Amino acid sequence: MSTNIFWQESPIGKTERQKLLNQKGCVVWITGLSGSGKSTLACSLSRELYTRGKLSYILDGDNLRHGLNKDLGFKAEDRVENIRRVGEVAKLFADAGLICIASLISPYRKDRDACREMMQGSSFIEVYMNMSLQLCEARDPKGLYKLARAGKIKGFTGIDDPYESPLNCEIELKEKEGECPSPVAMAEEVIAYLEDKGFLQNQ
Amino acid sequence: MEGLAIRASRPSIFCSLPGLGGDPQRRPPTDGFLRFPASSNAADNTKLVVNSSSFHPISAVNVSTQASLTADFPALSETNVKEERMNGEKKADNIVWHESSICRCDRQQLLQQKGCVIWITGLSGSGKSTVACALSKALFERGKLTYTLDGDNVRHGLNRDLTFKAEHRTENIRRIGEVAKLFADVGVICIASLISPYRRDRDECRSLLREGDFVEVFMDVPLSVCESRDPKGLYKLARAGKIKGFTGIDDPYEAPLNCEVVLKHTGDDVSSSPRQMAENIIFYLQNKGYLEG
Repeated sequence: MSTNIFWQESPIGKTERQKLLNQKGCVVWITGLSGSGKSTLACSLSRELYTRGKLSYILDGDNLRHGLNKDLGFKAEDRVENIRRVGEVAKLFADAGLICIASLISPYRKDRDACREMMQGSSFIEVYMNMSLQLCEARDPKGLYKLARAGKIKGFTGIDDPYESPLNCEIELKEKEGECPSPVAMAEEVIAYLEDKGFLQNQ
Repeated sequence: MEGLAIRASRPSIFCSLPGLGGDPQRRPPTDGFLRFPASSNAADNTKLVVNSSSFHPISAVNVSTQASLTADFPALSETNVKEERMNGEKKADNIVWHESSICRCDRQQLLQQKGCVIWITGLSGSGKSTVACALSKALFERGKLTYTLDGDNVRHGLNRDLTFKAEHRTENIRRIGEVAKLFADVGVICIASLISPYRRDRDECRSLLREGDFVEVFMDVPLSVCESRDPKGLYKLARAGKIKGFTGIDDPYEAPLNCEVVLKHTGDDVSSSPRQMAENIIFYLQNKGYLEG
């Protein structure tokens, strides 16, 4: 690592920004199979937060791949780098005082844990969309399961690539008696957690 | 499914947060959004297969106009309605409705400011970080949210895998440009403070943003002044040949040809104080409407 780099101090820091926004910056990391409802929840959560006057922003795996991560493909090391960069950006957003909602499959435990590690503990909230493969495949909102089953996509999570479920996530959202809770209900559950932990106020 | 309701224009959303432009007497609408289908059961929901090349996991390189739309409006990635033909016959109206997403305008309304990127460029020691600091403080005092991306800070995190060789310098700036763009989309006034010596790289970043959202600020300070300051001792090391390719010594700095703000060193402490320079930038932002929702 180069030594021509110095830390730049600034009088306006996270504390001041959180005071301005009346919230605490954090990362809500939504993980789960394709079609499990991550983006839907992200959307619902961001809207519910907005109605409470809270500032949030969604980092979506797909969107980042058109911008910051457009130089990355889908081979193993690129997937790792994709998640690393999303984690670093999410960390910057949390430092800015935002409630950053990261919504990506992020199938490997090691990569998600590395992001958690980056946040230095307190501000990483892992939300596991624990929906069955059957449900996700029945939805197939992007037609990808169909393509994967037809062998037109290789290494598709859930079909021929593993999804490693979290062992110790903060919030787990699952089907209840075969029914998926509504996005608003799931968003409310996340909000209740954020409220309980003090993220929705400055104190 | 009854009726093919066209996705309505987004209902107005307002904030009841006092001090951030909201009226505390107003309450946000309890029912201001498109309804989710009555049943959340996947079996009951008919659905539309989104046929977008932007979600093909084989290659992330395919970018269609639809992809650029979905990059700006993530929720649209789930709601694009497209006719699907199967065996020459039009597929049934299978639609997955999603709640409308919070967009940039909403956030800007909440923050009472408009997102943009203040790109401060200049030689090492020209005062970029000092002005960035003064600017963020002055804007904070006006109740505005900023975030500073400093070339050095970002190299400890996002860009820690990059060195100082030519292609990595370009990549360093590209990534910062992309992150700054995201911050601007949030509604944050993002201050990027980095030497960024090559015009081409800065212009690439400019092209990522909407017209007007990229505010290039040139720290127009002579090399001799920067070197006499030498706040990090780098000019000394460069002159001694201990650093190669150091901008201003043995690597060029290409001054902007058409930047929005020039902060010229006059040697006068009053007119070139960091605070005054910050005020010059704020004056520009105010004129262009960035300090209101």
